[in-house]
Amino acid sequence: MSRPAPSSAALPIAYAALRVLIVLNWLSGAAILALLVVSPNEQWIMSAFKLSPSPEAARLIMGLRVIAVLGLAAIPVNYAALKRLLAIVQTVRAGDPFVAANASRLQAIAWALLALQLLSLVIGAIARAVSTPAHPLKLDAGFSINGWLAVLLTFLLARVFAEGTLMREDLAGTV
Amino acid sequence: MAIAVKLDDLLHERRMTLTELADRIGMALANLSILKTGKARAIRFSTLEAICEALSCQPGDLLRFEPEEVER
Repeated sequence: MSRPAPSSAALPIAYAALRVLIVLNWLSGAAILALLVVSPNEQWIMSAFKLSPSPEAARLIMGLRVIAVLGLAAIPVNYAALKRLLAIVQTVRAGDPFVAANASRLQAIAWALLALQLLSLVIGAIARAVSTPAHPLKLDAGFSINGWLAVLLTFLLARVFAEGTLMREDLAGTV
Repeated sequence: MAIAVKLDDLLHERRMTLTELADRIGMALANLSILKTGKARAIRFSTLEAICEALSCQPGDLLRFEPEEVER
């Protein structure tokens, strides 16, 4: 019953990009893990950041460790979102995206994005707390209006897909 | 559903098969089968018109309201 989707370069590109992002996500996870394994070596961090032993330096190192752990926690959340997005792209390629599974996938992605925004807030707060004038810690984390807008939009899109699925079912049952 | 589709009876009265009707009105047999077995969620006016024309009947001959028994 499903019509073939009009051929467009966007879908294969999205599919390939998502595959690459999934690999990059795991690689960054491995990199953060490696950093955490190395970071108990305080001497090494001290020399890498040109720090002299002081209470501020100890605080900065502790902060960096906590941020690394939080960054590591973001990896499976990223994967959960990317994996579902990939599944959605596949249903679009198959020509029938208005299925109940996609509505729940979008809902799950929205929760993942919300979790990532909260993580980003915590990471930004830690970065500000441990940052010193001598060693400013500038991270691309904290409150992001775009990020929260994406969360809102994804929750909305999940509802749109749930409604679309009902309409699709009605249409399929129309003779 | 409280709306019953009497396509089976109509076809029987007119000694016509579902395949013949599908051919006559140019509709997929699968779709007509959905209608006949009462699995359809909606019927287009164009479909109703085509069936009524082919079977020389009124929409009321095809569809009937049969209230469902309310379980107490």
